[in-house]
Amino acid sequence: MKWQRKDVLAIEDMSVEEIRHILHTAKVMKEILMRPIKKLPTLKGKSVVNLFYEASTRTRTSFEMAGKVLGADTTSIAVAQSSVSKGESLFDTAKTIQAMRADLVIIRHSSSGSAQFLADILAAGVINAGDGQHAHPTQALLDIYTMEEQLGDLEGKKVVIVGDVLHSRVARSNAWCLQKMGVDVTFVGPPTLVPVEMEGLGVKLTHDLDGALPGADVVMALRLQLERQKSGLFPSLREYSHLYGLTTERLKKTGKQSIVLHPGPMNRNVEISDDVADSAQALIERQVTNGVAIRMALIYLLIGGSSNVVA
Amino acid sequence: MWWLKEVWVIDPSQNLSAPRDVLVKGGQVLEMSSALTEEEVLELAQGEQVETIDGRGKFIFPGLIDVHTHLREPGQEEKEDILSGSRAAVRGGFTTILAMANTQPVIDNRALVEFVRLQGERAGYAHVLPIGTVTKGMQGGELAEMVDMKAGGAAAFSDDGKNIQNAEVMRLALEYAKLTGLPIISHCEDKDLAGEGQMRRGMASARMGLKGIPASAESVIVARDLLLAEETGGKLHLAHISTTESVDLIRQAKARGVNVSAEVNPHHLIFCEEELSITDTALKVNPPLGSRRDRESLIEGLRDGTLDMIATDHAPHTQSEKARPFAEAPFGIASLETALSAVWQYLVLSGRLSLDRVIEAWSVSPAKRFGLPGGSLKPGAPADMVLFDPDYSEVIDSAQLVSKARNTPFLGKTLQGFPVMVWVEGRLVQRNRSVI
Repeated sequence: MKWQRKDVLAIEDMSVEEIRHILHTAKVMKEILMRPIKKLPTLKGKSVVNLFYEASTRTRTSFEMAGKVLGADTTSIAVAQSSVSKGESLFDTAKTIQAMRADLVIIRHSSSGSAQFLADILAAGVINAGDGQHAHPTQALLDIYTMEEQLGDLEGKKVVIVGDVLHSRVARSNAWCLQKMGVDVTFVGPPTLVPVEMEGLGVKLTHDLDGALPGADVVMALRLQLERQKSGLFPSLREYSHLYGLTTERLKKTGKQSIVLHPGPMNRNVEISDDVADSAQALIERQVTNGVAIRMALIYLLIGGSSNVVA
Repeated sequence: MWWLKEVWVIDPSQNLSAPRDVLVKGGQVLEMSSALTEEEVLELAQGEQVETIDGRGKFIFPGLIDVHTHLREPGQEEKEDILSGSRAAVRGGFTTILAMANTQPVIDNRALVEFVRLQGERAGYAHVLPIGTVTKGMQGGELAEMVDMKAGGAAAFSDDGKNIQNAEVMRLALEYAKLTGLPIISHCEDKDLAGEGQMRRGMASARMGLKGIPASAESVIVARDLLLAEETGGKLHLAHISTTESVDLIRQAKARGVNVSAEVNPHHLIFCEEELSITDTALKVNPPLGSRRDRESLIEGLRDGTLDMIATDHAPHTQSEKARPFAEAPFGIASLETALSAVWQYLVLSGRLSLDRVIEAWSVSPAKRFGLPGGSLKPGAPADMVLFDPDYSEVIDSAQLVSKARNTPFLGKTLQGFPVMVWVEGRLVQRNRSVI
């Protein structure tokens, strides 16, 4: 297919064909990434700006590596905290980046919709590296890439996503992406973190993890933000872990050799036990590798122009 | 003297909806008759020059009275000031506006009340009546000097934007305000339930990953304040009602005889949450847009009188404030210049509301409830009036707006049905859409 988009902001409005095209491109990119000398001249002379308003080591590094492998010049702007009262507005920052003639901007920001906001202003392409609680498309794509790599065609498979779904852009983007691929998705967590309005995403909701596990091909644990306890969303890590923590014992309930994913960074022995995290079932490091490949694919598709590394 | 010939008069204060000739002289409505001859008019003019207006195809009604506007002066004049806001008012068909107290500083004493009133008089467009705070500094603690503020011209009291969270303070305010005869306006928002929410909590907020404000953030306080008004016999006005549950609570309270009135904003009658997009900050408003069911309940409540009045909650902001990611943009819609037209187009033309009910709710009811002049075109009444052309259409254009603010969801869109002449006490202040 011919790639048409200037930006990658959310999975929600993407076609299955586009998702397939990204996954296919990522496969080629992964092969390049696995070479001993991983450097291409493809994007020589292109500039990629990482604009990160939220602390993130792994995602930012992943994007930086992806850009560098493809030969682009990458610059990182780490802004401590997005602030309405102090510092430059996102609008003005966008204008500044525009004036510097960046080819592609990767943005992570604490406000839902900020990536779309930036894309509406910039002539340059924009990749959403996570906007508030809204979307994290590259995470969903790397998750699905990892699932397919392990399980083959995902049509009809069952994925259980457990944890703080309400505040999770990872859960939202995965829900859109997986359902487009024909996957049966269930959100699991306490009613305070999996409220009824999440039904709007088309997924099944349940508060009973043990009841949801039978038949699951993939179990994805979400990172629990420990400060949610202070907001009264759950009483203690102890009780949370008791109800929703992934343990070896509990995983047996799937009745199959399910795979375990986690977007990282993990709270060990809160949402995932040590033995699960370090087991062969857990593909958490593979997710990281595949993340670089997915990001290479997107950077290439957005600013690779007519060069045909994938052909 | 003005002679409006064969104009359709809508005046719910005298149950009138019929073609009439209207004469205006000395700042008052002089006479309203079925047909006047030139001789009769000249005699009544007593030598004064007569300007004749062909009223065919147009409506005349008492000037709209808006009990909920934010004029931002003193303190935030970059958003709006009393001059620009009162010009926007008359351009939109409003001849009296109540200025909310949440300025900087807040209007919590007589000196500030008089400042706002005098700035309105100096501007010389719509009547500007100040709303004073209920509590000193809008802190929700000690009561402000309501009696003194009334003497300075305050028309009501409200800690708008900062709901009075302490129920005992609200109870005392309803008791004490009896000395003034003026209503306490409740902002109807439980701060803990609303939290850091950005839009109504529901499927749309879940999809967009925006923090939600549950409908109960409003209805919990509506229920509380209705009970307090019932117990004290105080005079309560509920601002910007936006949920089905609130409408039901008010309906039940009115049936019990509680001394309460309630307003609804045009945007809650026209839009709902599913129309929001993640970058459309023009529709970011508090209380947030509700569900379709809420919108239906509000229209029904306005039709059956549960909701007494329409009010704009005109909330001007600068363009740079609204040009932010959704969660960082301020709440509010600037609506004085578009509200009447929007209500005409979306609700009257579609048959959901009669024009008579709109004028009753936006002029007659506010005048009665807040004890204000206006709201009637009976002979002897002040000639605060609007000539409305139902066929006039206009693109809402940044260059034409006289408010300082551009935060309207109608920017760039065409609306139909506009005031084409507006008088304040018989003085023409707007003609052919231009403020004079």
